[in-house]
Amino acid sequence: MKQSSYGLVVLAGALFAMLPWLNMPAFWQSFLYIVFYWGVLAVSWNLFSGVSGYFSFGHGAFFGIGMYTVAYFCGHLEMPFLPILILAGFLAGLFGLGIGALVFRVHNVRGELFALLTLAVTFVIATIVLNTPIDGGPGVYLNSVAIPKFGPNAAATFYLMMLALLIVTMLAAIWIYSSKLGLGLSAIHDDEDAAEVMGVPTYRSKLVGLFISTYLAGMAGAIQALFVSYVTANETFSITVPLFVVLMSVLGGTRHWAGPLLGAIVITGIQYFFTVGDSALMGKMILGLILIAVILFIPNGLLGNFARLRAKKNSQKIVETLKNTYTQSPMKEVQQPTTQVLLQTHGLSKSFSGVKALQNLDLEIYQGEILGLLGPNGSGKSTFINVISGHFAATGGQKIFQGKDITGLSAHEIAVQGITRTYQTPRPFNELTVLDNTRLVASYAGNKSLEEASELAYAALTQVGLENKADALPSDLNLHQRKFLEFARALAAKPKLLMLDEVLSGLTPSEIQSSVELIQKIRSQGTTILFVEHVMSAVMALADRIAVLNHGQLIAKGLPTEVMRNPEVMAAYLGKKAE
Amino acid sequence: MLELKNIQVAYGPATALWDVSLSVQPGELVCVVGPNAAGKTTLINAIAGLNPLVSGLMHFNGQDMAKLPAHQFCDAGIALVPESRRLFVEMSVLENLELGSYIARAKAQREQTLEMVLELFPILKEKINQVSGALSGGQQQMVAIGRALMAKPKLLLLDEPSLGLAPSIVIDMFAAIKKVNQEGISVLLVEQNVSMALEIASRGYVLEEGRVVAEGVANELLNSPEIQKAYLGIHGE
Amino acid sequence: MPSLNLLIQSAVSGVLLGGLYGLIGLGLGLSWGFLGQINLSHFAFVFLSAYLSFELVTKLGIDPLICLVIFPPIFFVIGVCLHWLIRRFKITPFNSLLLTFGLTVIVEAFIQWVWTADFVKLQTSYGDKKAEVFGIYLPFAETMGFLIAVLVAVLVHIVMKYTDLGKAVRAIAQDPKMATAFGIPQKRISLGIAGVCTALAALAGVCVAMIYTLNPSQMYTWIGVIFAVVMLGGLGSSFGPLIAGIVIGVSEAITMVFVNPSWAPIVSFSLLIALLLFRPGKL
Repeated sequence: MKQSSYGLVVLAGALFAMLPWLNMPAFWQSFLYIVFYWGVLAVSWNLFSGVSGYFSFGHGAFFGIGMYTVAYFCGHLEMPFLPILILAGFLAGLFGLGIGALVFRVHNVRGELFALLTLAVTFVIATIVLNTPIDGGPGVYLNSVAIPKFGPNAAATFYLMMLALLIVTMLAAIWIYSSKLGLGLSAIHDDEDAAEVMGVPTYRSKLVGLFISTYLAGMAGAIQALFVSYVTANETFSITVPLFVVLMSVLGGTRHWAGPLLGAIVITGIQYFFTVGDSALMGKMILGLILIAVILFIPNGLLGNFARLRAKKNSQKIVETLKNTYTQSPMKEVQQPTTQVLLQTHGLSKSFSGVKALQNLDLEIYQGEILGLLGPNGSGKSTFINVISGHFAATGGQKIFQGKDITGLSAHEIAVQGITRTYQTPRPFNELTVLDNTRLVASYAGNKSLEEASELAYAALTQVGLENKADALPSDLNLHQRKFLEFARALAAKPKLLMLDEVLSGLTPSEIQSSVELIQKIRSQGTTILFVEHVMSAVMALADRIAVLNHGQLIAKGLPTEVMRNPEVMAAYLGKKAE
Repeated sequence: MLELKNIQVAYGPATALWDVSLSVQPGELVCVVGPNAAGKTTLINAIAGLNPLVSGLMHFNGQDMAKLPAHQFCDAGIALVPESRRLFVEMSVLENLELGSYIARAKAQREQTLEMVLELFPILKEKINQVSGALSGGQQQMVAIGRALMAKPKLLLLDEPSLGLAPSIVIDMFAAIKKVNQEGISVLLVEQNVSMALEIASRGYVLEEGRVVAEGVANELLNSPEIQKAYLGIHGE
Repeated sequence: MPSLNLLIQSAVSGVLLGGLYGLIGLGLGLSWGFLGQINLSHFAFVFLSAYLSFELVTKLGIDPLICLVIFPPIFFVIGVCLHWLIRRFKITPFNSLLLTFGLTVIVEAFIQWVWTADFVKLQTSYGDKKAEVFGIYLPFAETMGFLIAVLVAVLVHIVMKYTDLGKAVRAIAQDPKMATAFGIPQKRISLGIAGVCTALAALAGVCVAMIYTLNPSQMYTWIGVIFAVVMLGGLGSSFGPLIAGIVIGVSEAITMVFVNPSWAPIVSFSLLIALLLFRPGKL
């Protein structure tokens, strides 16, 4: 799939590259230059913002840094263009990294706030540029800078440079959309917190994506600076770049690598049509209208549905190849509960602004057992899972896993250590296929490449009986299937400890029965299980031991029938009678 | 007065209630018990108009409630004391109570009802201007009940009022609920604390996994094998 | 070293300007706080109202104070329609940001089409009057804008705190389902809030027209300042934006005494960035 896309891009690029030597009319050359230019900006924007959902309104800032790098070093300091072109990309990329490093640490700055912040950054940079010797006010002239000689004439050289940059950008976009990184960023788009818990190093991934995006924007700015040969702060940092890249990407479809390019072609075409007739303003109004119309009627963009189809076809293909090679691995020794401790908590506590959700918990989970965690509503069971998985940080105490202290580790590191969980209300990544959902976890938490992860994912899906739905999207599944997808995801990384959070709620009796059998099978194949549950029949059938929480404290643990007859446990559940 | 026949209610993509039928006669105190995830909150929210019915009938005082828009349930005479109180936490106790009587017919009697509520829960008199989020759990529960009473309801719905409260406070709470019922307001109480609930109720229903598995006179239900199995998973001795 | 008189004059100007910031920010903050929407088209409406004021005053000789009275109701209706549209299409909060962005661009282009990109200023007989108090000048338009801002903030505060409607609005913002359970017609009230916010934009626009020379692309330069005002003052607060506006206005004014005025935008934008980083989420 991606080989053919790469080939397509390179081939098309080669064809377009020949045109200047074939006496292409000047009008087309400059029109195509502008298409390439916007193509670079829109695609580079989209390969981070569109994929991850972190819509930046600050692409203009990085583009501007590229422009002004050339303006300053080539214009003021009279250095040659080509080395500065490379520098421009780096400076823009570094800036992106710097901003990302600061901003991505702050948990709540997503969505609208990230958009606002990046817009503000643009204005700050613009003001600095305007008021310092970088520009100072009058703008910078670049006519005396020598233009490299690639093509038959100067205009052709710019055409070729921007074309080359576009090809590089498209290749980068294709790579991101089909790589492990891209999958991680897509997961971040759908549910960042779940992605982190499933093993995706969200902070690092976002930084890499942002760097690539801003680097390319910087280079586009550098070439454009030389092209226009007169750089001013107002033009460079105006609202045009942020607006257009968002518009083009949204119009073309942010979920497809070619979407922004399609949008760039359409918008540039419309613009040309209007500037020709002296109605540039009308053009702007139409563009605003297009943005509104797209949001209202085709929120996924022109290629949005293509992107979905592509993802489905991709999963189908992988499954086809795997079906033939997959063999059920021979049944291992059926695992029994041992007395070896897998996870141990010492004095584990968690408070939320004064409310003590967990108090001083000392609990051990033995290798190979199925431990039921019970307690009335609000007793802290889900909080326990959330703290162990790293979703919340503990406010006190320790967690020791396989002898190692994991208390300070971030959620994705804990997943890599071998602890995975399911969510009470399923949280699948809605724009990823069932297979991709599972592959993601297998790859990140299991620390494998995407190819290896495909096999593991397929095995996990077969175990839960979802292998025929591998190319479906989560929205196509019913609740039972979605819960089993949660299972498959958690299993695909071959965890040592699997935590199930009320996985049976909402299921019919027969579905509960098949789930119970599945859990038993999973244990016998080597995974230790902790499960929170209210369906008592299932608890009694499954649990080797039970631990009971009440008001965040552990009040009983031991064999099921003993624990449930413990008077304190009965009081916690049934309530004390009035004295 | 309240009549539910074979209702089916969804919770997200799943069916939470299957074929549930129950009734509350005028002046009765009826309770619905059952373990977690049995569908109790979904049931109460459906009666309050917050969860639409997938199928089945719901009549209140002869009126078909299934088609009524959510914000008209209060005027019809149904007031809700939701799970975990759900007060308007950034607003004061007084403002919460005033909002309870937002609808016109309750607003007309606001002064008198307020006096009545403060007599029922005297401690709220000193807390009246405090931000409700700063109150203790038990006091918040009082405000929640008070807010519902301010709407001058004919049927009061309570969803797990004992949740997160210390046992001694729960005793006072249930006494207050009993008193409210004795003044003529019908009560439908959903509870996890079976013993206390069945103590003040006249009739009860047991809900398990979205279905009614038992119903009957309150004090007979408490020792029934269904309850033991549903709550503790043990088959009766 | 600038004179004390200059500093005080700057500070006073900053206060008056801050009032206007607060007035513009109030509408934005109310819709963000109570409707959960970041309405970029707020700025478009301010400028549209400003340009319409210019038009009526210059072409028809109508006193701008009349505009203060007739514009808000008209814009109220526009706001209601816009919100109804957004609700009908069930647009996500982020997409509503994009949508209002698109609307802003359209309005800006429309303004430029009708009134050109040239700078325009409405003139009134009393517009240039200044009062003098202890050696400090209080220009008429700015002072009027400030007083209107204060008056509106007081009004909003009174409604929010003491009327049933105000309490209902606050309840809806905190827990819409529970508000509905107690008979509060959440949808209708939300439409009303949207209308009021747009009406406030109209009010602010008339003041802007009386104080400033207008130019279509200026819209965007206000974005940073006003967002900083709203975030500092608190979403949904009645006095917050006013106080924040004054703080920012004074900071900008004092900064401009010491450095080149074109550095001024940095104050608000940097403040905005800092706020986003260190106090994100509803304030």
